[in-house]
Amino acid sequence: MDTDLLSKILFATIGTMGFAVGSNIRGWKLLFTSLGGAIGWGSYLLVLQQTHALLLSIFIGALLVSLYSEILGRIFRVPITVFVVCGIIPLVPGSVIYYAMSQYVQGNFMKAMRLMMQALLIAGTISISIAVVSTFANIFQDLKRRL
Amino acid sequence: MAELATETAQIVLQSGGETHRVENIIHKVCKQFGYDNVESYVTPTGIFLSVWDDQDHVATSIKRINSRSTDLNKIASISKLCDDIKSRNLSPDQYSQEMHVLALKTVYPLPVQVLFGGISASFYALLFGGSWHDFGIAFFIGILIVLFNRLLYKAHFNIFLINALCGGLAVFIARFAGTYINGLQTDKIVIGTIMLLVPGLAIVNAIRDTMAGDLVSGTARLVEAFFIAIAIAAGTGSMLKLWYLFY
Repeated sequence: MDTDLLSKILFATIGTMGFAVGSNIRGWKLLFTSLGGAIGWGSYLLVLQQTHALLLSIFIGALLVSLYSEILGRIFRVPITVFVVCGIIPLVPGSVIYYAMSQYVQGNFMKAMRLMMQALLIAGTISISIAVVSTFANIFQDLKRRL
Repeated sequence: MAELATETAQIVLQSGGETHRVENIIHKVCKQFGYDNVESYVTPTGIFLSVWDDQDHVATSIKRINSRSTDLNKIASISKLCDDIKSRNLSPDQYSQEMHVLALKTVYPLPVQVLFGGISASFYALLFGGSWHDFGIAFFIGILIVLFNRLLYKAHFNIFLINALCGGLAVFIARFAGTYINGLQTDKIVIGTIMLLVPGLAIVNAIRDTMAGDLVSGTARLVEAFFIAIAIAAGTGSMLKLWYLFY
């Protein structure tokens, strides 16, 4: 693995940790939340490198974050939201929205629309992957209760 | 009893809990204290709750929720407390006492939160391709943004205005620094700092509420997330435009 990738993952981890402190998470949970950010961003970058498919990478990144959070939520017996919220922050299309605005202000309307559409698609993709995981987690729990 | 459940629900909802979690907690609290017949309806802005006792007397309680913030630790600790009522054999008074202690507990003092806001912003700036110079400026702006955010929140500005002003401030300082320091990538700095404003909690709650079948809350949260995003875009966009007009 090249150092660029590793340093990016490290930055994502520390950035997520800062966000987690802002959301009042503490103790061991803080560490694991930050790792969630690393997992999301790391898998996103790896998949993006291999396939060059933006939405697929976002999907897999968010999927792994929510899966990781479901598992941790069961272990720590805390709401899953604690981990998901901070873990997906690096994937949220804040940068795309900013670039769209900046293009629009410079008069490049078509570019701005393309970026806005992209931001919307990314947000939708993140939503779908969280929805998929939480749905399957519910089904899984139902099955476990019945058995 | 209804009051106790409503208070618990209020704390969880104001800390950023999903509505179906809040409803679950209400039912849990009432059941643990022996009231099996409970109906609750929770939206992001209000709690409605009726409790029946053995003689079919109804107690109803309605609570309007105005302010909401993010305190995920509070949600976790209150959920745990509700789970433990039976096993620790708490009386309603004891429970109420413990709940109030938890409700007042803040995890990090303001300076720590502000500092970590700066750290978060600066590392996100690096993450999106900034240099170490950008890192320093983003750290500074991140601190300012968190402080400014708290200040506006205390002054009861609405959520749209808060995010728009914070976004505008971030662009302004970044551009301002860019005119004095050569080679700054102002876009990376701004992106790093607006990651602090991004509505992560609203997005996640919107999806989880919708998936749990709570369509009203899901839609409400989605609109909240959408409006925050629009506010950030509007704030940064108008500040950029002003900047281009004057320079």
